Amino acid sequence: MKNQSSNMKRIGLGIAALVLLGFPLIASTRYQVHIVNMAGLYILMSLGINLAMGYCGQINLALGAFMAMGAYTAALLNTRMGVPIWINMPLGMILAGITGALIALPMLKVKSHYLALVTIGLAETINIIIVNETWFTEGPLGISGIKMPELFGIPIDGAERFYYLVLICVVVGYLAARQIMNHHTGRAFIAIRDSDVAARAMGINVAKYQIMANAICGVYCGVAGVLYAHMTTYISPDIFEFKTALFVLTMTMIGGMGSLAGSVVGGLALPLTLEYFRAFKSWQLVGFGLAIMLVVLFFPGGVIGIARRLEQVRGLRLPWARKPEKPAQTEASHVP
Amino acid sequence: MNIVSIFIQTLIGGIGIGSLYALVALGYSMIYRSMGLVNFAHGQIFMIGTYFGIIWYRGMVLGLQLPYAVAFILAILLNMVLGLILERIFRPLANYDLMLMLLGTIGLGYVLENMAVIIWGAEGFAVNNPLGNTPIMISGVAVLPWTLLLIGVSALLMLGLNVFLAKAKIGKAMRAAAADRETASAMGIPVNGTNALTFAIGAGLAAAAGMLAAPIVYVNPAMGAAVGLKGFAAFILGGAGSIPGAIVGGLVFGVLEAVSAGFISSAYTKGIAFVIMIVVLMIRPGGIIGEVTVDKV
Repeated sequence: MKNQSSNMKRIGLGIAALVLLGFPLIASTRYQVHIVNMAGLYILMSLGINLAMGYCGQINLALGAFMAMGAYTAALLNTRMGVPIWINMPLGMILAGITGALIALPMLKVKSHYLALVTIGLAETINIIIVNETWFTEGPLGISGIKMPELFGIPIDGAERFYYLVLICVVVGYLAARQIMNHHTGRAFIAIRDSDVAARAMGINVAKYQIMANAICGVYCGVAGVLYAHMTTYISPDIFEFKTALFVLTMTMIGGMGSLAGSVVGGLALPLTLEYFRAFKSWQLVGFGLAIMLVVLFFPGGVIGIARRLEQVRGLRLPWARKPEKPAQTEASHVP
Repeated sequence: MNIVSIFIQTLIGGIGIGSLYALVALGYSMIYRSMGLVNFAHGQIFMIGTYFGIIWYRGMVLGLQLPYAVAFILAILLNMVLGLILERIFRPLANYDLMLMLLGTIGLGYVLENMAVIIWGAEGFAVNNPLGNTPIMISGVAVLPWTLLLIGVSALLMLGLNVFLAKAKIGKAMRAAAADRETASAMGIPVNGTNALTFAIGAGLAAAAGMLAAPIVYVNPAMGAAVGLKGFAAFILGGAGSIPGAIVGGLVFGVLEAVSAGFISSAYTKGIAFVIMIVVLMIRPGGIIGEVTVDKV
């Protein structure tokens, strides 16, 4: 039995890998590839917030600001000094990570909805600075003319080639997140989420891990920001507003908080579905809002939560829902 | 004009905007106190309330052009009905974790905002000021008559709310239900009913704020998000769930904004207000007045 299931898994992985590698060839238009690239960036951000919020229980609504740190680092260095993406990437990651760590500092003191507001306030402040310091950031006009990357003389231009760069980042990001969660750091995150008092009693340095979780979240969003800047070659502050953070949170929630696979499912499903319904204009967003309400009211565990419940009820074994990680907040039993 | 009268003028403007924030923050606070629900769609409820009144004033329904005062009352009543409906939808959400509340109510916000776009269009419009746009001079200080009316009406509404909660039988029942849900329901208070009424009053106050704001802002479906965020800031700043806290928080936030716009930097108005707010929360993590603990089911 065991052999059979691991064989199944191998075949499944093989098919998935083939589809992922061949996608730009199957896609009928370049725009489709672009949308999937965007979904890849969302998956990265969603993985970050899932580690900080789904696993470590840290409310953080400053995702847009982290992404902006990565994107502006890349855009400024590239347009002013011609620095390529390969150097911008680590720099953007470091700066966004530091921003994440700094935003974590109030978390040591402020909790719950107060914390939600503090993170919104910090993100808004960063955005206001970007809009107003025109001498440095070009303000609301944004920065254009960012170069697409080049590797050993081969230009990575066009959505199809950039797709592979995004794919590598997503796969590495996913594996890294899994590694973190298998490490004792990940177990400390979960302990803090479930009860920070109990975690402290067990000798976990809560403050350290809180800062770490948010720094990691910052790094993921920073990667997305650097990729975004080099992919679209143009950035402006409105992309990094609060609504981006909401969008990422929503997809994480729909996928499943506290599940890395949930981030992938949500990060793919939401942007693609919305794109599909784009022709409906405002009705599209009404439907989006209703969908969020339905998920929250009836399926608080998200898609992964549904998969796990099916598994419990029917004894179905779904390959992506096998780990007994419990989603952050499932039933009504969780009262703060 | 000397610096003192400029300062007083700025202060009056800040108190005017601040009372609007306070009315919105009261909605957050009442709903939080009774249901433990942080309603992030409150900004959109404020926006819908504004439209509910303005459509009558501008003759957008059957060509009826009603006086502003009648439109004001209609806005409050219609929005209260909306509040009753929304309370029914969100009743289960109150027991959930903050994150789920946040998303669920934000989902509602999307629905309300885009329904407004579909029904009334995305462009928005300016509403002409029933009291005119010429400022009156009171001993060297120029004030818009509407600002004075706004401050007066808001003060009356807040006073009325406090008297209602303190003296009226239903008001007392609402406070009891907010203080201890189980004991209150054991005493025969219909807790779900008082919650619904609380939600309706919150929505009604938001509509009142919207109608008071309409002549001095640009009415459009996106206006809810900005006001909602500031109302939320006021609600948190004063201390979540506290009625005087919401009023103090709103006024402080409004005055902070006006003073930083007038004396420090108009570009950084919002930023400065937020930074000061974060500093206040770092010093007093429970808000200025202090949080009222919420007894949840």
